[in-house]
Amino acid sequence: MISTVKEIEREAQEKLGQIQSAEDLEGFRVLYLGRKGKLQALMMQIKTLEGEGKKEFGREVNQLKKFLEESVQNLKGRFEGQSGEKESFDETLPGIIPSVGTLHPINETILEIIKVFEKLGFEIVDGPEIETEFHNFTALNIPLDHPSRDSFDTFYTAGKQLLRSQTSTVQIRIMQDRKPPLRLIAPGRVYRPDTVDASHSFMFHQIEGLMVDDKTTFSDLKGVLHLFFREFFGKETKIRFRPHFFPFTEPSVEVDIRWGKKGWLEILGAGMVDPNVFDAVGYDSKKVQGFAFGLGVERIAMLRHGIPDIRLFYENDLRFLRQFR
Amino acid sequence: MKVSTQWLKDFVKLTPPLERIAERLTMAGLEVKKVEKIDDLKDTIFEVEVTTNRPDWLSHIGVGREIAAVENLSLNIPDIQLPSNRAMPAGWKLSLKEAEGCPYYTGVYIEGIEGVQTPPFMKERLMACGLRSISLLVDITNYVLLETGQPLHAFDADLLKGKEIQIRRAKVEENFTAINGSAIILKQQDLVIADGEKTIALAGVMGGLDTEVNERTRNIILESAYFHPRWVRQTSLRYGLTSESSYRFERGVDPEGVDYGRERALDLIKQYAKPRFISGVLKAGQRPTVSKSRIHLSLAQIESCLGMTLKSHQVASSLTRLGLDVKKDSQDKWNVKIPSFRSDLSRPIDLIEEVARIYGYDQIPETLPAREALHASENPRLKVQEKTRAFFTGNGFSETVTFSLISEQGLDAQEDLNQAVSIINPQHQELCWMRPVMAPSLLTVIRKNDHLGARRIAIYEIANLYAVPKGANHPCEEKTLGLAVCGTWREKSWLDAQREITFHDLKGMITAYLNVLGIEPISYVPARKSFLKDSMAEQVLIDGGKIGFLGEINEKIRNLWDLDRPVFVAELSLERIFKFVRWIRPVKELPRYPAIERDFSITVRETCKSGDIESEIWSHGQGLICRVELFDLFRGGRVPKGCKNLAYRVTYQSPERTLISEEIQELHMGIAEKIVNKFQATFQDGKS
Repeated sequence: MISTVKEIEREAQEKLGQIQSAEDLEGFRVLYLGRKGKLQALMMQIKTLEGEGKKEFGREVNQLKKFLEESVQNLKGRFEGQSGEKESFDETLPGIIPSVGTLHPINETILEIIKVFEKLGFEIVDGPEIETEFHNFTALNIPLDHPSRDSFDTFYTAGKQLLRSQTSTVQIRIMQDRKPPLRLIAPGRVYRPDTVDASHSFMFHQIEGLMVDDKTTFSDLKGVLHLFFREFFGKETKIRFRPHFFPFTEPSVEVDIRWGKKGWLEILGAGMVDPNVFDAVGYDSKKVQGFAFGLGVERIAMLRHGIPDIRLFYENDLRFLRQFR
Repeated sequence: MKVSTQWLKDFVKLTPPLERIAERLTMAGLEVKKVEKIDDLKDTIFEVEVTTNRPDWLSHIGVGREIAAVENLSLNIPDIQLPSNRAMPAGWKLSLKEAEGCPYYTGVYIEGIEGVQTPPFMKERLMACGLRSISLLVDITNYVLLETGQPLHAFDADLLKGKEIQIRRAKVEENFTAINGSAIILKQQDLVIADGEKTIALAGVMGGLDTEVNERTRNIILESAYFHPRWVRQTSLRYGLTSESSYRFERGVDPEGVDYGRERALDLIKQYAKPRFISGVLKAGQRPTVSKSRIHLSLAQIESCLGMTLKSHQVASSLTRLGLDVKKDSQDKWNVKIPSFRSDLSRPIDLIEEVARIYGYDQIPETLPAREALHASENPRLKVQEKTRAFFTGNGFSETVTFSLISEQGLDAQEDLNQAVSIINPQHQELCWMRPVMAPSLLTVIRKNDHLGARRIAIYEIANLYAVPKGANHPCEEKTLGLAVCGTWREKSWLDAQREITFHDLKGMITAYLNVLGIEPISYVPARKSFLKDSMAEQVLIDGGKIGFLGEINEKIRNLWDLDRPVFVAELSLERIFKFVRWIRPVKELPRYPAIERDFSITVRETCKSGDIESEIWSHGQGLICRVELFDLFRGGRVPKGCKNLAYRVTYQSPERTLISEEIQELHMGIAEKIVNKFQATFQDGKS
């Protein structure tokens, strides 16, 4: 048995000397190492043996295998680059693509927006979604018995709290907690019992901004917002500032953005913080001033990506989400 | 609100094109949503959106006044001569019993109406504003409302009981049927107008059906009053009744308009209804005055708010154009008298807004605030979220955003909902819980995508979960990471075979994620959850504290969501993880001496825990073990029933010296022996 192995080895050594090309080498490989090659035949024989003989024979076969593999490997380098019928390189074979995850377009938009404001020195803060009447309405100068309340339909909990209807609640919480100067950005979920359609949802996202110190002016508000829109939508972005009314700011402004054929689109509400709001949080409204703004994240994401229906955000169809790689 | 430009021309000159005027109004805060030409009526309509602070814009005169201000034109309002010589109506009297709800009430008795034809111009203007012509008297009250903003009401005097008009609170459980047919049982908080017997109108909201004027009406009482905004609003909200009148009263009408509007209506009645007699005015109460009729304002205040310099005359001119009476106090200081129609103006800041509006927001410069840097440390909670997103996105998970409001489907009343927050006025009946767990929302996303044919679904969401802890009043919100996976872990390719997602893929993902945050060791113990399989649920522990769980969705829940394939979910509290994050980790010295790997494979009973074996291996390593891995788990074959075969790879390495192969072989075999003895195992690997 062992002699057969030695015999094959000697024969192989002889053949190795005659190899001239990649084809010869491949022939050699198939003859000895192929699936029906001589080595495989020896391997089969191992199984038929028992005891010491098996061990010894196995060792010999393994040595032969090692010798053959190394020889083929060594010669391979020599014929590299030669054309032939060998395993050819197919540059069109696809790579194996790993699973790539995606950020949700709402969060992608939030992160992009806050990045701009972070560069301007704004701090990102967070606040609760289940709120009190005080933080959501009273402190924001929205009286219970006033029609201005009508645009803030609200969900109430069994425990007599409410789901915040705007992220402005966060400015109240932070101002109660800290002294000026403040520069804040507060993104988050807000809730209004709206009938769901292509542009409304009972839950959506807002980003609140607040800048308060002793000298922040309306012209600063204009400058900061214009800079933001140019950073976010591009240098050519055209916006306009239109007077409006919000209970918690005065003067109040709505910002419209010029959007191709659609014309002017309302995109953000802002204004100088109303003195009543400062009074509510215990600031001296004669000594502090500043601006606040609030923008709808869904609306901006929809504009930016041409998303036709707000419901797409919450359905989480992977075919939709995967477009935001 | 629809505004007829033909009508506006009664009060102010409109220099075409009308679109230009619409644009100017919009840029002054009275947004014109639409400019619509109506050929039939030879009119053009402005569809305006009036903000709640400007009830004075809810009339043609009001809009005309704004146009005069922005165009710097004069406003022509026809003067009304208040009557002095009309006889008082015999026997009629007013009794005002609720002065807060109705500070000022006036009424006129009109007798012997003959004309019934609404003149064409009036019909056309009403139609242009979206109102149908009903009858001459109703048309006149509507016309005056749209022209002056003062709501009026006409009662058929012959249908009243007695000659006393009461302004009082409703009686308990008094019945009332409104003009629109709504039958209401009134409350004492309602302000009503009543005759000698019963309520004939909900003050400022709607008149009663019984005393409504009709074609046969010959004698009327015409009401013009100031009702308190809050009273009107509360009654209107209470019964869900709104009208053009309530809309204006709840925003606040011009107190001066009460007399003006009434006399304007009487003019029209005289002209078109041709009555025999118009009485003098029955009056009760006092015209309310504007809360603060004078406001002091300085140029410095304006400039410091707007961030620009203005000329003194620009300020005075802006305010004067709005119809305010501006008096100079001293250099660059004014005191401004507020007219009755501008009750929204009570503070200097209100006037600053007016100056800015009329001057033009677009004329105000843009500046960038130069400020000292604030303490700008990154919010560490947000940083954890950011790292979390980066990890899972990078590992093939798609982020979702699902509603925080869920139904109770699949949740256990005791276990899941017992501390949950419920919503009492949900928009969708079933979505009335602030979610206490994330799994139902994630399952809904899995179902949607599964049914759409997605093979691999791996999703995550970072959102709050809500609960009211026992004894607490205000709910807690806990920022939580939800994970859900289903389907193939690895797709079949020309290199690899396909593999389905398993529990341990998710578990490994969690371990790797926590390690990225510098958290180890992490341990896992069995868990029970209403929606998870008992044998496939684990708590995740850090430092012995629970931070979340993972597991496989059980059959019952899977059926509820109509899912065939196994689904694995996890929820980890970011709030709790946050406390264990190690942001800055000291670097460990790199090993200088080579490592030696040795394997052993043992067969143990099924009840034996791999984790216990691993700890046992570590405990015997004499400090030379740097890694223990389970690299194979095998059942079946020659492995006896009730047993499993485990294969471990142990890596030995010393920080001080090169280990000698024989020494390690001995140590390794020793450990293997100890394991076999301790766990009553065998070395049999059972495979071949």
